[in-house]
Amino acid sequence: MNGISEARLRTVLAWAVILLTAGPVGMAVVLGFAFGESPCIMCWAQRVSMVLMALAGLFVLRYGPRPRYLGTVVLLGAWGTFMAIRHSALHLARDVGQGFAASFFGAHTYVWSWVVHFVVLVVLAVLLILLREDEVEKGTRELGRTGRFAMGLFVVVVGANALQAFVSTGPPPFMGQGDPLRVSWNPRNWVWTFRGELRGAVTLRGGWNIPKPDPAHVEADAAPAGGPLADLPVLPVQAWETVGAPLDGRLTDLARDPATGRFLAVTDRHGVYVLDAALTAVEHRVMLDPGFSVDIQAPAGAAFLGDTLVVGTINKSYLLIRPDPATDEGEEWRHFLETSGGMSELRRSRFATVRARQMYVSSLAYDRSAHEMVTVSVPSPRQRRMVVSTFDAGDFMLSGEFLPRLGPDLALGGKRTLAEYVVTGAVVEDGLLYAISAAYSTLLVIDLAAKTLVEAYAVPGIEQPVGLASRGGELLIAQADGRIAVVARPGRAGPEVAEPAVTEVGAGAVPPGS
Amino acid sequence: MEFLNFLIILFVAWLVWRRPERERLAFRLMVVSCVLMALMFLIATHGALLPGVNL
Repeated sequence: MNGISEARLRTVLAWAVILLTAGPVGMAVVLGFAFGESPCIMCWAQRVSMVLMALAGLFVLRYGPRPRYLGTVVLLGAWGTFMAIRHSALHLARDVGQGFAASFFGAHTYVWSWVVHFVVLVVLAVLLILLREDEVEKGTRELGRTGRFAMGLFVVVVGANALQAFVSTGPPPFMGQGDPLRVSWNPRNWVWTFRGELRGAVTLRGGWNIPKPDPAHVEADAAPAGGPLADLPVLPVQAWETVGAPLDGRLTDLARDPATGRFLAVTDRHGVYVLDAALTAVEHRVMLDPGFSVDIQAPAGAAFLGDTLVVGTINKSYLLIRPDPATDEGEEWRHFLETSGGMSELRRSRFATVRARQMYVSSLAYDRSAHEMVTVSVPSPRQRRMVVSTFDAGDFMLSGEFLPRLGPDLALGGKRTLAEYVVTGAVVEDGLLYAISAAYSTLLVIDLAAKTLVEAYAVPGIEQPVGLASRGGELLIAQADGRIAVVARPGRAGPEVAEPAVTEVGAGAVPPGS
Repeated sequence: MEFLNFLIILFVAWLVWRRPERERLAFRLMVVSCVLMALMFLIATHGALLPGVNL
């Protein structure tokens, strides 16, 4: 049978142990002694994992390629790969040059740990494929010259690591630290601790465990009096209207085109509808295909961008759709599960936020004067804040973000915060962001230039508001059940405001494909 | 604890080198070292055991 003998395998393995010990493990300790480079607690675990893989190699040198030793290497390689991925995930998505601690040959240590564990698995697999099966015998082997050198080097390097570990992490029960200090031989600079790493609850996802909001239903107190802002003036519902056109699913947002009076409605079943000004006839309809591309979760926002329809979802994905009589229906089959025809999808991509990162949204508005899209974050138990994010409507990149300040005429009760409001609909007029909160049925008026919540109104009588549109001097508060509460639009410009000019969006204004 | 783990590993290496007949003890100690290493990593990441990215 072709392949390598056990004796040859042990020689190759001895050199692999030497390389592993002298390379990543040895270099790490040299950097510690020579340059003060100090590993964090996760780095220590990965360094120990590499040492243990080398130790398992020494077992094979001494006792032959027994399954328990080879299995140990595979287990360590797999676990080490996971550790390196978990560690690297903290830093991989940051901006260029923003890694953690020192880098070597263009990559940081946590990435090299990933490479080393991966390479060990590959080398082991190749050796196992090449090993002659009938060559393996039980019993103790002589180490040979290379084996003894590997053993000696291992002891020296691990001894040096033990010394560094004593200085940097201390004797038990002290342990490594998340943000380590540089290595020092002066005992006065030694920081030994174990309490810091034990704090906090055990969770799988940590800050990424964010509950998804239902854009058509918010579990919250609807009574305005229970809200964080005290003694708000009442904005009475002047009239009720209804979306008469049949919709598939619950309404999740409503926008109005000031140029034509038409409405854009979106539903939680990925329905997108262009309705006439009376809200009774469907002019265009598509059912979005949410799969196979950018993750399109429940639509929660709608806006007219000139003749382009913008649909936003709770996970801050967005789609640009345009009514177009020349649409190639065959081309659009990939985008829409159903279509009434004459609709083209121009783009689907994602809004990227900074302060609103790890937060969902349930609203979308278009600020015509600034030519920007606007979202308001939905608070969660882990992210308790309200973040207004604005995006340039040319390239759809983040152009501003802020946590609204409180205006001089408003006061929060006790330890209450604005993050208790859950904004489910928004519209911008005259530089003011009008945002309706399903929690406490409150209309918030935010001055976008001043980044300040300037007014707030209680709107009693509404249930599960999901969208907000502007019509002249009125605001239309759309509910999930399709009913629309009409209220007067408060604000600096007064109730009767002339329709501003519409910014037409040509094909050139639409950003290139994702 | 990292210091303790390196001491265990050094002892295991000495057993394999100088006392090869104590194979079973050496292997068991190596398993202890592996568990200790994994435990230290889990302590470090217990607030979010899975990678902090979109999964």
